[in-house]
Amino acid sequence: MIDTKPFRSLMRRNEHLFVPIALFIVLLVAAALRSPGLFTSSGVAGAILVAAPLILATMALTPIVMAGRGSVDLAVGPLLGFINVTLVQWLVGSGWTSPVTIFAWALFVGAAYQVLQALVIIYVRVAPVIVTLSSYLFLTGVNLMIMPRAGGVVPEWMTKWGAGTSIISPVLFVLIAGLAIWFVFTRTAFHIHLRMTGADERMAYTSGVRTNWVRIGAHLLGGMLVGLAAICHTALISSGDPVQAGTYTLQAITALVLGGASLSGGRGGAIGSVLGALNMFLISHLLATFNFGMFSGFATQISFGLILIISLLINVLLTAPKIQAMR
Amino acid sequence: MNDRTLAVDLSGVSKSFGETRALVNCQFSARAGEVHAIVGENGSGKSTLAKIISGVLREDSGEVHVLGATPRNPVEAQALGVATIFQEVLVADEASVIDNLYVGLDGLLRRKFSARQREQEARSLLKRFTGLDIDPSMPVGTLPLSIKQWIVICRAILRQPKLLILDESSAALDLDATMRLHGEISRLRDAGTCVLIVTHRISELVRIADRATVLRDGSTMGVLDKVDINEKNLLELMTPRDRHVSEADNRGSSKKAALPPLMSISDLRSVQGAEPINFKLEPGTIVGVTGLDGQGHERFIATAVGIASAHQGAPLVHLPDGSIAAIKKLSDAEALGVAYVSGDRKREGIFPDLSVFENLALGLYRDNLGPMGFIQRAAPVSAFAREVQRFSIKVGNASNKITSLSGGNQQKVLVARAFAKKPRLIVLNDPARGVDLGTKRDFYRELRAFADDGGAVIYLSSEIEEFIGFADRVDVFVDGGIFRSLTGDEIAEEPILAAMFGQALEAAMTFDMQRAAS
Repeated sequence: MIDTKPFRSLMRRNEHLFVPIALFIVLLVAAALRSPGLFTSSGVAGAILVAAPLILATMALTPIVMAGRGSVDLAVGPLLGFINVTLVQWLVGSGWTSPVTIFAWALFVGAAYQVLQALVIIYVRVAPVIVTLSSYLFLTGVNLMIMPRAGGVVPEWMTKWGAGTSIISPVLFVLIAGLAIWFVFTRTAFHIHLRMTGADERMAYTSGVRTNWVRIGAHLLGGMLVGLAAICHTALISSGDPVQAGTYTLQAITALVLGGASLSGGRGGAIGSVLGALNMFLISHLLATFNFGMFSGFATQISFGLILIISLLINVLLTAPKIQAMR
Repeated sequence: MNDRTLAVDLSGVSKSFGETRALVNCQFSARAGEVHAIVGENGSGKSTLAKIISGVLREDSGEVHVLGATPRNPVEAQALGVATIFQEVLVADEASVIDNLYVGLDGLLRRKFSARQREQEARSLLKRFTGLDIDPSMPVGTLPLSIKQWIVICRAILRQPKLLILDESSAALDLDATMRLHGEISRLRDAGTCVLIVTHRISELVRIADRATVLRDGSTMGVLDKVDINEKNLLELMTPRDRHVSEADNRGSSKKAALPPLMSISDLRSVQGAEPINFKLEPGTIVGVTGLDGQGHERFIATAVGIASAHQGAPLVHLPDGSIAAIKKLSDAEALGVAYVSGDRKREGIFPDLSVFENLALGLYRDNLGPMGFIQRAAPVSAFAREVQRFSIKVGNASNKITSLSGGNQQKVLVARAFAKKPRLIVLNDPARGVDLGTKRDFYRELRAFADDGGAVIYLSSEIEEFIGFADRVDVFVDGGIFRSLTGDEIAEEPILAAMFGQALEAAMTFDMQRAAS
């Protein structure tokens, strides 16, 4: 007889991924029927280009949410926009266009801003949501101050990134770099500390976890991923835009929850977040193939809302009875 | 600190939480290679002491030396070799058994043990203590409570501590598991570990403690050596003297014994597996309810007023017309004339943003509605004046916010709110917590008057001396059931305390017999 025990425990540990995976498969099948063009080389390349910023933004939220205390980072969208507009307005505007400078700036600004937020959360002891909400409003205004309307140019080497003609593109490499950072992170004890802190901060603290450092680390990691997301976003729109990036906040939170992460902390991961973001992309892609006429703008949002609620309900139904039976 | 064998040495340690003084100039020392018990009533400061030693709390003043240093946080304490098992079962349900066991053992980035080492060690430890083969990669949330408790214990043992602190940690374990834990404690002691046990189970500490330090009101009352550790000596040190709060004996006479009960409860179980509760409350009676933390008396109170629902059975109220109705939810209790006063003023009592008047009269509006459901202020206003006078509440302006009053006066408003509804039965959950003596006396006087007028009172308190000269009967809870009902002269410090600790001659004997059998 085959020993099914390791398999079953693997399933048990990844229960929260059932729904995102199932949804992903359903959406893929639907996409294959409605829009076969997605599965061509240029279709996939375009998909990577469009989905990359959201995937990275969702991954950026993941460690921050995992740290618990309900710390969803609402500022992720405007921060992404801030990096976008400063790249275009300040760096390119001053002639600093080397890839090293651009990447260093994006990663540094993302990480520095997030660490600042973490310090406020830890030492001023304000609820994370309030801190990041103020951040959201503050950065939205700052972005418009730096660049009142969309425009500007990206460095020359980046212009080709936005073409989206080949699967093996620089954007794909940035995405892989983001995943690699995440993979390295999950190999460290810091990953466990983050999960334990998110699941029960008091327990972690009394067991000797330096919870404050864990929180700072989570924001640092999130900030670096925001930086990568901003680069992909800049490549996608090939310009600076003070407003558009703000929409990533709500999209990333939706993708995060769709990917099975727990907003109360302790649970989440790159696989779920990538799946959640891909599902979001597929849903809007699919809806674009229907003609809703004047409703097309709202149809996407209505569907996001409905699918989010339904997938949460399914998750509750799948997990609840077992837990009760065990107790 | 010249004495190298002292693992813990505290002198003159004080710690306050706001107004409450948890530790007052407390002395404590324990040696390496001994099992040292910290004993005391509820609120005597024993948990606070344990938390200071394990670095979770910082002392306000005094000297703390733990294994040669002063730990300022749990990380430092752990580096010194301190491991603590807290009262609560602290596990992360989402994380695996392995992660729960090894949490805090690693550096910030580097792991100390390989995955395989962890897996094997976790499996064998759990096997040794629970006798079950548990997959250590399972999330803890899927495991039953008793195993979670073992995970917490194993987490501490894994660290091979030089100082192990157990804060009431055997509370969730059954007898058999307790024996296994004691075996482990003896093994660690023989290996030179200093083991501190914070406990209220006298039978437990008589068996395994080498020494015991008794605390009362945050101060050290004495240290007993193994030969002196027995129930009599412990109770003597724990029991306060001359702390009677009540004025002269104002206990009611026994004339109302013949009356039919106001409330009766039979074979009620608060939770599954708890002892069944049988309870009768006659008019004119004040019943005190008490017990050590988590013995089910608080749950009983919540059930009696319909806040919590019982696992089995429900409290029955006997109405004047002879009919009987059950309390299943809070609105039932209200409709049947049962009023509830919580001692948790901040969370279950006051509306901090409303006026003194609103806070007292809030419950009266609905019973006095005028035409078309408009609020009539006449009845609440007269009730307000009556109650303020009855309890001599110092209100100043009635439209001031309630938070402008002192704590004691706020509590008076809450009790007055219950009186204002003219109930037949008043249930109070530790209403005198943190109020001054004068306020307490006002409560006792008015509650007695209420009972003499044919009402009945259930009064929960964790301070024994509150009952003396006040309650007609004291029901002491142990393990979710009424362990003993004390009346008349039995309502005194020592008998109540003995009952709280589950001390009966026959009980101690059965425990020893079970031990011999296992």
